[in-house]
Amino acid sequence: MANKCSMLLVRASNCVHNYIHRETLTNPSFISCYQQKRGRRRTCKPPSWFVRRSPTTWDKDLTPENKEFLHGLVEDECKVPVCSPLRDEPWPRGEWTRSTRRTGVLAIKLSTIPQWTKDGRKVYTTLLQVLDNHVIRYTPPEDFRKTAGWKPYWGQKFGSVVVGALSCDPRKFSKEYNHLFMESGVPPKRKLTRFIVTPDAAIEPGTPLTAMHFRVGDYVDCQAKTIGHGFQGVVKRWGMKGMPASHGVTKSHRKMGGTGGGGDKGGIWKGKKMPGHMGMDWSILKGLKIVRVNTKFNILYVVSTSVPGPTNCYVRVYDTVLPNRIRATKEPPPMPTCYPEDISDELPEELFHEDLFRFTEPSISYAEEES
Amino acid sequence: MATARTFCLKCSLHLFKKGPNVGSIGTNVFMRQSNTLSPRLVDVHRHSKLLDENQTQDKADEILEVPRDFRFVHPEFMPPSLWYRRDKLTEYLERRDMYRRRSVMEIPEFYVGSIMAVTLADEYSPKKNSRFVGICIERRESGLRANFRLRNVVNGQGVEILYEMYNPLLQKIEVLKLEKRLDDQLLYLRDAPYEYSTFSFDLAPVPLPKASSVPVNTLKVKLNPRPWLQRWERAGLQGVEEFEVSEKQRIKAEKATTPWEKYDLMKKYRSGINEYDRGDIIQEFYKQTELNKPKTLKKKPLKQV
Repeated sequence: MANKCSMLLVRASNCVHNYIHRETLTNPSFISCYQQKRGRRRTCKPPSWFVRRSPTTWDKDLTPENKEFLHGLVEDECKVPVCSPLRDEPWPRGEWTRSTRRTGVLAIKLSTIPQWTKDGRKVYTTLLQVLDNHVIRYTPPEDFRKTAGWKPYWGQKFGSVVVGALSCDPRKFSKEYNHLFMESGVPPKRKLTRFIVTPDAAIEPGTPLTAMHFRVGDYVDCQAKTIGHGFQGVVKRWGMKGMPASHGVTKSHRKMGGTGGGGDKGGIWKGKKMPGHMGMDWSILKGLKIVRVNTKFNILYVVSTSVPGPTNCYVRVYDTVLPNRIRATKEPPPMPTCYPEDISDELPEELFHEDLFRFTEPSISYAEEES
Repeated sequence: MATARTFCLKCSLHLFKKGPNVGSIGTNVFMRQSNTLSPRLVDVHRHSKLLDENQTQDKADEILEVPRDFRFVHPEFMPPSLWYRRDKLTEYLERRDMYRRRSVMEIPEFYVGSIMAVTLADEYSPKKNSRFVGICIERRESGLRANFRLRNVVNGQGVEILYEMYNPLLQKIEVLKLEKRLDDQLLYLRDAPYEYSTFSFDLAPVPLPKASSVPVNTLKVKLNPRPWLQRWERAGLQGVEEFEVSEKQRIKAEKATTPWEKYDLMKKYRSGINEYDRGDIIQEFYKQTELNKPKTLKKKPLKQV
């Protein structure tokens, strides 16, 4: 029976054969089949499982006094995380291994400034601010596997953590969107994002995430949407040369040349570089070193000039996945994150990498050789 | 009505400051970033009451009376004016680094046209540092990437060196002769005879008389015959003797001028930092450097501009 159903579904959805046969009908993930898509997803529509964000009603008939009262109520009540007396004990903290994947943070890209190392070399650093981040939800691998966003190549190893940034007034959003934050007890967030984590890095909803989630000297990956350029021609998008300005050239100064040959393999091949939408696409920059951390404003100084995206864009920052960097880590990072009670001494406002020059130090000079 | 208008001037300026739709270029940049916050919204979230207290930024407590406008003396403290690249917190942190460096090494007041000597740590020279004397022909960039360019003639060869002002390898910056020239940039010295940019390496410092303003050197430079590195007839130079211009070049230079730009108030507003921000920065600078100066660095008061 299952086999017949699966064959029907295969024909209907045009998906990969093996997955259907391996799964059982009881698993809902089998219905939403996985089919690899090449190229980019060009749609402004959010995925179907997202809830409505904007409110359906608004307080247009409220008097100014009532508005002010509600505003004060939001500030008073939303600030403190709601702690129920029925809550369980804090979750056990796992141990870090090389295969562990911790959660990341949702930062804001600020700008790029130079810093100097102690041997006088200039490095450009990008500033990423971890502003008002909280864990919203943790889904264990068993449940995560049944959700709509699951991909088969993740297997059963990973659960997911939803992280939100920038607290807002709940009146700004719809009822369904506000309900997402019931479990964590934090005010609704302007932006949500999901990280794939291993079960040993499970983290309790409502936990604040700060810049101390990473340490100075760690390597991180930054994922963000690049600067959008709109629909662009072939010269700007792919750097093609165009054609001369004169010498009999008409109407094709910035056009591409031929698109393909004739004969047996003729025609336009798939993936031919052509005009189209440029930028505004997800991109990852891997293996960026943290050289300085500001603990007061929660700012990471990351060595790079090319973190994707414009100023003030959201950046997903997480531990690097580069195997050599993971192998090189000697001390395990704070698991699952750095809690305030972990810090025994008073935190200095700024933490520096040992190789980075501090501006309070005297100038760098070289000792004269004795001859 | 007139009084009401003057009263509202501040509000209207604030409106411009708030709104991202300041210019046509800026608007396009802003509209196409759906994953991006506006700078104003980020500031709102930084000072939000829903936030923990330790993340909020310090505020200036009192307003001091600043004796003069420091933006011409230390132009590197004025941030770049592109509104969609600016971030006030970063600028604040960057300025704090600059004050720290200034408390260790003195960075004197100088202008384009001043004759300066800079000592730089150099691993490969026998004395482990190198001193260069020259005339400052250009001053660029702001913040930690501020730099200046010195020019001199060494062994019959024009030499220019670009120094970063906040580079920790810099040992000492001396101003041998403090003066200004008629132009903002002296790049035309590249196309002038070498005598105009030749300075002795053992030039003694020329002190200024007390309580005198910075003198302006009204020297007129005679340029070499063409070819030049740039079309100087289009630059509107003041400190240059008259030179021959052909009819064709004159017409083309006239076409390239933009005399209407001095009436473009919006462009003027956009290309600089508005006076509220500027006032805050100047106050902070005065507080940090003039009042909290260590005694070792405290010298005679700065001259009036």
